Amino acid sequence: MEKNIKYILWSTGTVLLILFFWWLMKDPTSQFAESIPGADNRGADSTSVGPPVKIGENFQVFGTSTSNLKGTWTRFRGADFDNIVKNSLPLKNSWAGNDPEIKWSVELGEGHAGPSIYEGKVYVMDYDETKREDALRCFSLEDGKELWRRSYNVSLKRNHGMSRTVPAVNADFILTIGPRCHVMCVKRETGDLVWGLDMVQQYQTEVPLWFTGQCPMIDGNKAILAPGGTSVMIAVDMATGKVLWETPNPGGIKMSHSSIMPWTLNGKKMYVYSAVGAVIGVSAEGADEGKILWQSTAWNHAVVAPAPVCFPDGKVFLTAGYGAGSMMIKVTPSGSEYKVDVLKQYLPKEGMACEQQTPVIWEGKMLAIEPKDAGPLRNQLICVDPSDVTKVIWTSGKDGRFGLGPYLIADNKMFVLSDDGTLTMIKPDGKKYIQLAQKKLFDGQDAWAPMALADGFLLLRDAKKMYCVKVN
Amino acid sequence: MSDKKEPKSIERRRFLRSGMQMALAVSLGGVAGVSLLKSTSKDLVWQIDPFKCVQCGRCADECVMTPSAVKCVHAYDLCGYCDLCGGYLKPDANARTTAAENQLCPTAAIKRQYIEEPYFEYVIDESLCIGCAKCVAGCTSFGNGSLHLQVRHDRCKNCNDCSIARVCPAEAFQRVPADTPYLIKGGFTKGGNSEDKLKKG
Repeated sequence: MEKNIKYILWSTGTVLLILFFWWLMKDPTSQFAESIPGADNRGADSTSVGPPVKIGENFQVFGTSTSNLKGTWTRFRGADFDNIVKNSLPLKNSWAGNDPEIKWSVELGEGHAGPSIYEGKVYVMDYDETKREDALRCFSLEDGKELWRRSYNVSLKRNHGMSRTVPAVNADFILTIGPRCHVMCVKRETGDLVWGLDMVQQYQTEVPLWFTGQCPMIDGNKAILAPGGTSVMIAVDMATGKVLWETPNPGGIKMSHSSIMPWTLNGKKMYVYSAVGAVIGVSAEGADEGKILWQSTAWNHAVVAPAPVCFPDGKVFLTAGYGAGSMMIKVTPSGSEYKVDVLKQYLPKEGMACEQQTPVIWEGKMLAIEPKDAGPLRNQLICVDPSDVTKVIWTSGKDGRFGLGPYLIADNKMFVLSDDGTLTMIKPDGKKYIQLAQKKLFDGQDAWAPMALADGFLLLRDAKKMYCVKVN
Repeated sequence: MSDKKEPKSIERRRFLRSGMQMALAVSLGGVAGVSLLKSTSKDLVWQIDPFKCVQCGRCADECVMTPSAVKCVHAYDLCGYCDLCGGYLKPDANARTTAAENQLCPTAAIKRQYIEEPYFEYVIDESLCIGCAKCVAGCTSFGNGSLHLQVRHDRCKNCNDCSIARVCPAEAFQRVPADTPYLIKGGFTKGGNSEDKLKKG
């Protein structure tokens, strides 16, 4: 009996010991699968290689037009880069009946490219999906008749639209950037090709997600561009296409959807660019023209669309969508150097932030539409003081949500276009939200393109159509 | 011998066979009847209106089922198939890869597959989804809103007093007919009527 008990105890002990070691040796995570890079089997970008693009190879003339109109909207955010129409005609204070009337509309390829205007002519960078070509199209501002088209073959796949840049125009030239970073300069009056530049080929530019969003800048006789790649910024002679200077890019800064803004700080003229990887200030004059004066990698987000907003006191407001939020920096000259301090950094819910459009400054206050991830303020127009961009002075309220649409100011009126094609007229004010009129103009889809206004004609578009609305 | 009767065992076999056939017919008829009754009945089940949902995350915590019977579903016809997907990648992710630190989903329930430049397909593994709505919030904020939550009726106990509906801050939970139990985006549009509701999950 005693022997049996011993036997049972030994057997039980042995089994327990085996079980203990089994438990000890067992990896409870053996069934886990690691999430590591490459599980999506990402392929190479097959569309970036192909036959060389002959920029500006095609030209078509459809008609001629003479106009007495003298108004201009020469580039992204207008002549002064502030989204405010100067010397505007008196515009209607309220809308009744058919106001504001759609004068004409034209079909465009899917995209978000806004127009520019010069003395009765409208210039739009379009993409023709049927012909598979980038096309700079010229229309008559008064009746929407297409006058000419300068185009070139380039293969694109739809990716939330294709074209999304605003041409820059002066008396002599038009400067464009296509979806795949092809730069084209043509004569304004005739559409004759002057020169072309493939930034992917020349500077190893990485085409941004959803294609190029950077709007080109003409500064005097120079085209100012930010390719990223091997040169973070370049200047090209408008008349000849000769590269005047190139800014090296040792930090590997990439092209963003943002556009270069001019700035003068303590008498020094410079170009400010909110890139992917950093924000930079590049000298725009003097012996150091084209040199990086200052930069901050504290501002580093994967997608940046709004342009930097620069203040005379050295502050620069930076904002971006996709959860990035905003940052206020202060650039301070210090001898021949510049010092950059981050004054404030916050998430979209905590203050003014933008996903696509750039805030507008009106009588010392900043106005902008909040992104979708701004909590209760999502898609509302808000007003802040630049001294504290996290303190909201007023909002358009929960009934005043505008999507991601554009806005501009003319004749003391602010025009805001909602995603769905609703145009709202507001009296811009530093103390409260004052809505003057509102009308749904068309059944719009993704009406995100920057607007343009000249001679009382307001140009706006959704993903596939451009409309001309008379607002005076 | 000719007067000899058939063995009783054969009659019993026939009886059993016909009995089984009858039982099978009755059961199939019953199932069909119940299915018919269910498909034509006025019974109601819980469902989420995706246009009212505010992605608060309570569906993951409040459901009596573990994990929650609320799952993310994907309206492929609305999806942009983006490389930078707000529903898949964390905001400001280090890289657009499948590495764990870049994924927004806490359980890696969204599988991403490259199709061709520049498109990626996103598929939900429902066995891993806990209904937290993090991806829905990302997709709604930065994308087309193709990812959205639905109560999956193969998991839902259809409690008369749904514990999620009681706490839903957006009153997105509603009773819908049992024969049209899903409100899938694409077919079901904002403010859509019952005819827009899809019958299939």
